[in-house]
Amino acid sequence: MVLRRLLYALALACALLAPVQPAIAQADTASLIQALGEAKNYTELEQAVDALAATGDSAAVPALEALSAGALYTKKLGGAVLIGVERGADLALTDPLTGESAGTEPAGGYERIRVNNRLRRALRGAIGALTLLSPKPDVRQAAAEAVYKNRDAGALEILEEALAKESVASVRVAMIEAKAAIQLAGEADDATKLAALEIIEKRGGRESLALLGQVSANASPAVAEAAQAAVKKIQAELQWWAILQNITYGISLGSVLLLAAIGLAITFGVMGVINMAHGEMVMIGAYTTFMVQEVIRTSFPALFDVSILIALPLAFLVAGAVGVAIERGIIRFLYGRPLETLLATWGLSLILQQAVRTIFGPTNREVGNPSWMSGAFDIGQISLTYGRLWIVVFGLIVFAALMLMLRRTPLGLQMRAVTQNRRMAASMGIRTPWVDAMTFGLGSGVAGLAGVALSQIDNVSPNLGQGYIIDSFMIVIFGGVGNLWGTLVGAFTLGVVNKFLEPYAGAVLGKIFVLVFIILFIQVRPRGLFALKGRAVEQ
Amino acid sequence: MAGNTGAKFLTGLLVGASMLAGVAVGEARAQDTIKVGILHSLSGTMAISETTLKDVMLMLIEEQNKKGGLLGKKLEAVVVDPASDWPLFAEKARELISVHKVAATFGCWTSVSRKSVLPVFEELNSILFYPVQYEGEESSRNVFYTGAAPNQQAIPAVDYLAKEEGVQRWVLAGTDYVYPRTTNKILETYLKDKGVAAADIMINYTPFGHSDWQSIVAEIKKFGSAGKKTAVVSTINGDANVPFYKELANQGIKAEDIPVVAFSVGEEELAGIDTAPLVGHLAAWNYFMSNETAVNKEFIKQWQTFIKNPKRVTNDPMEAHYIGFNMWVKAVEKAGTIAPDAVIDSLVGVAVPNLTGGMSAMMPNHHITKPVLIGEVQADGQFDTVWSTPGLVVGDEWSDFLPDSKDLISDWRKPMSCGNFNVKTGKCGGKS
Amino acid sequence: MKGGFLLRGLDRGGLIFLAIVLGVGILVPALNLLVPPGNPFHVPGYAVSLVGKYLCFALLALSIDLVWGYCGILSLGHGAFFALGGYAMGMYLMRQIGARGVYANPELPDFMVFLNWKELPWYWYGFDQFWFAAIMVIAVPGALAFLLGWFAFRSRVTGVYLSIITQAMTFALLLAFFRNDMGFGGNNGLTDFKDILGYPVQAAGTRATLFFASALALALGFLLCRAIIRSKLGKVLIAIRDAESRTRFLGYRVEHYKLFVFTLSACMAGVAGALYVPQVGIINPSEFSPAQSIEMVIWVAVGGRGTLIGPVIGAILVNFGKTYFTAAIPDFWLFALGGLFIAVTLFLPKGIVGAVTDWTKRYRKTPSRPDPVAPKPAE
Repeated sequence: MVLRRLLYALALACALLAPVQPAIAQADTASLIQALGEAKNYTELEQAVDALAATGDSAAVPALEALSAGALYTKKLGGAVLIGVERGADLALTDPLTGESAGTEPAGGYERIRVNNRLRRALRGAIGALTLLSPKPDVRQAAAEAVYKNRDAGALEILEEALAKESVASVRVAMIEAKAAIQLAGEADDATKLAALEIIEKRGGRESLALLGQVSANASPAVAEAAQAAVKKIQAELQWWAILQNITYGISLGSVLLLAAIGLAITFGVMGVINMAHGEMVMIGAYTTFMVQEVIRTSFPALFDVSILIALPLAFLVAGAVGVAIERGIIRFLYGRPLETLLATWGLSLILQQAVRTIFGPTNREVGNPSWMSGAFDIGQISLTYGRLWIVVFGLIVFAALMLMLRRTPLGLQMRAVTQNRRMAASMGIRTPWVDAMTFGLGSGVAGLAGVALSQIDNVSPNLGQGYIIDSFMIVIFGGVGNLWGTLVGAFTLGVVNKFLEPYAGAVLGKIFVLVFIILFIQVRPRGLFALKGRAVEQ
Repeated sequence: MAGNTGAKFLTGLLVGASMLAGVAVGEARAQDTIKVGILHSLSGTMAISETTLKDVMLMLIEEQNKKGGLLGKKLEAVVVDPASDWPLFAEKARELISVHKVAATFGCWTSVSRKSVLPVFEELNSILFYPVQYEGEESSRNVFYTGAAPNQQAIPAVDYLAKEEGVQRWVLAGTDYVYPRTTNKILETYLKDKGVAAADIMINYTPFGHSDWQSIVAEIKKFGSAGKKTAVVSTINGDANVPFYKELANQGIKAEDIPVVAFSVGEEELAGIDTAPLVGHLAAWNYFMSNETAVNKEFIKQWQTFIKNPKRVTNDPMEAHYIGFNMWVKAVEKAGTIAPDAVIDSLVGVAVPNLTGGMSAMMPNHHITKPVLIGEVQADGQFDTVWSTPGLVVGDEWSDFLPDSKDLISDWRKPMSCGNFNVKTGKCGGKS
Repeated sequence: MKGGFLLRGLDRGGLIFLAIVLGVGILVPALNLLVPPGNPFHVPGYAVSLVGKYLCFALLALSIDLVWGYCGILSLGHGAFFALGGYAMGMYLMRQIGARGVYANPELPDFMVFLNWKELPWYWYGFDQFWFAAIMVIAVPGALAFLLGWFAFRSRVTGVYLSIITQAMTFALLLAFFRNDMGFGGNNGLTDFKDILGYPVQAAGTRATLFFASALALALGFLLCRAIIRSKLGKVLIAIRDAESRTRFLGYRVEHYKLFVFTLSACMAGVAGALYVPQVGIINPSEFSPAQSIEMVIWVAVGGRGTLIGPVIGAILVNFGKTYFTAAIPDFWLFALGGLFIAVTLFLPKGIVGAVTDWTKRYRKTPSRPDPVAPKPAE
């Protein structure tokens, strides 16, 4: 309801704005939109777009937006230009100017107007300029940003007009910056340029740097010098942000490593099973996510945004069930022979990989990002992606839940009892085989959860698990076998160290240094960061 | 260890050895079919790309048999799995040639697998068709390169970016192995010849399967903010692409700002990603599934029927196999025999239709002529061709932009019959 | 004297084994060279290179068994020693190409030429001499093992921690050798060899000789291992395997024994790698991959660790299975291989040799005597 009311308000605003434009402009716009369909090549199309932008008529915006999105079509017969939305083999058509429906027709009768990057850039500028007067502040803000990026001198006039009317402070700032950018990039006297320079310098950030870099190339010495000074200042500021950025990236990498390793910290760390099939449990989790999304895509498209949340418990259960089956079928015959579990689980990992390859095919499967996990936001000069942020949060939640479960529940108590002293635990009436199966299932289930998270940032392919298995072992060993806190600290330490090394040494050497560091570290602390103490150590 | 038990195992060992001999002897079957070897990894890291090529070969062979086979005999595919294990490629190649007596082999993807089997094909004098774009710097009498050489992919792509997008600053990002290294060396020289300053070129290498791209994408962003139009030329391989593109999309690098042109990303790779945020990024290939030619539509239909999946995509290396296989069929028919020497000689000059609507011909340097297409990623995971060369481009095996290879040419026709003839010294290298 | 040390304690089983290995070593090349093709007794060239490869793997498996089966050190990094030996040999073979490379550069291998290297890196010096390469084949893996072992055993890094750091070592080397900047040919590695000691690598005669050399190396390796485990040193090693702390408390310097046997084993693996490279025709970083090293350990487990014949049988059997299944059932062979690994660990905990030994003992109803080399969980 609220939305509808808003729409009405918007329509009303548009209706109020419309009379401002002369009636001739409407006819003109229509013929210019028609010209979009007649362009023979990208250059002609760009000219047509520029002509549309020059009218200043915001009625052209839907057509331009559709063109940018690749949804503008020309009819093969007659050449009418229409906006089309694909419905199977048909197109649902609307008139770009009036917004009225023009029926649904077979797609075969229409040709899509193609655009390339250069055109998309031109379109972005044109749409920006045309929406500067939009009644919605956020649209105006985006328009100002677009004008800032394109710095098209043609937009200056309309920008001035918009600036004069603007009442929202933040939008105003964006418009002033856009204006300064146009002045700096284009023709203006030195005094104007120097004033503009100050505004840009205040804005800071990478994009300003790009602009300033351009300025110093073709400007009078005074302006060039001032621009150089501004560049230096911004760069110095960015240096500090770079350090902070490395830390955030390190934490993000650490959380991925934590998720990958934490299941292993249970199956390997707590139970002592050298579980080479751990990576495949992660893979199973990722494929479960894929399956869930497949079902949602075909049957309940509205639920797509929560697909990940549905996948989480399912992945836990599926991977957990596979884990229990493995424990009952194979591992339980191998207790007390840890090195042999390595061989059996290695064989198992080969089988699981090939099974997935046979069932799902060897190619990557697409797992989409829900809207709340895509995109990025800026804190100062660092851009953080939502996906990565949620993974950090998720990793910490899983860790906390696992700690709680081990420390505060009867099952956790029994698990700790069995792993510390199996015979004693059995004498106290704990069903050790059942506890073993549950523990292994828990570790595998947590690996499945990791798979859901990793499906958001990595390939979903049969090789998914292989990429994480070695890192996971390194982290568990580094942190200390049998200690979840060690895994947590280990994962974040290695993540941050890696990210600090990467810019200097490159990705490959950075990783080699980390491995050598682990080897040397183990010499100093042969049982990892947080070693278990007491009799249990010398079994 | 009791001695007598030891003896038992040794008998077992002998049995094993004799079984091996059995494998080797089992070749003497009646020659009523012509065997075609398929040497693509079906497991391990490369299975993701190579399995499709195995399937397309099976389809092509099946189609050929429907048309009555070759020289009055049916074709028989011999599939082996070299398991992404490079020494195993050499072993399997030897097995295909000497045990199964295949008439020709279609296979390999990575450069290292080709390098591994190359001596085997030369020693046993058999034929290999190699369908993947590669770094060049090689020409063997026994290998036919149906994928693109750097001049059929990389250089036109860079030209396009410089001309159409006005790019002045270049990031050459690749996986650290020989194809990206060589391609980037060639591109670096090429760009510098065109007047690009060294400071405007950034080269970055990452390991195979690199999955954490945050720092590198941030680095690219930083490099791109120097006031000049910047583009990324990506030779990032295989699995590392999906996380790379996901990171690009998430960090908001749009194609309008910093376009990425890739040489190893095709329809098959994009099938694993949501491409909506990637619209406008580019790829340079010799074939796109979106080509509207009748022959391509027929090929796609055939493929989707064969694989029983109406959504399966086609890609450039598949077309390369399509061309290579048809060339081989034509050459065998021309020679009237499957004897390697005769077929090798008759292959040069053979021309068959490619799927873009032209005729590709096998050149004397064992590379083929191809159109070069630049495509932009669309929201549906397809490429939209935005530029193409006016005619076909001949594959140049010895790059003109590497100091030591610019004087070399290759011509396998008699009487020259040389893969690395030095036009300056007038000598054929590599011969003792 | 040395011969005496090697031959001491050879029993009938050992003699039969030696006879078979050397017999195969002579017979296979002879049947390949002397019997004309078409004759049922002719061994095709394909089988020679294949069995030659298996023999190298057998020697490698033997070296792993020496440390794992007799000293309880599970190394997940033996692929690294094998590959280093292989690289040393590969570098020699690369230098032998000389001016016959495609660019006709007398000094630099092809991959350096087209990547614009101007001069040979210092660590390539000397590899144009066979004797130097031969020393490096043993010295480089040995030195690395000594270094790692010296640190690790002194700090008493044991059990699974040791296994994982050996894995970290081979993984780090994998990444390092992948880098083209290292000057070892990057991912492509070293390939397209021409001659060894002046003879063309691909000639039948050279192949036959290499085959015989591999058989001989395996026989010598077997003798050496046997002599070691029969000596007093060997007894101490087994004691360390079964109860490390107790052995230490008895006054033995456990770390010295471990270091010795670990280094020796690495040298053996290096020799295996050096013989492998000319027969296969390529050495590249994938040999360093942790998965390869795990597979090597599995050969030993399948054959039976803590026996000397077991690893040889295991290596040959698993690799023969791989050769056979990748051609017979290319889409499903991983199921077969994976199933084999699981089945062996579950049903044949002592491997094939251990199982047959147990079985014959029961069958003969001989009074069971304590088996001196029965494998027990190491740690």
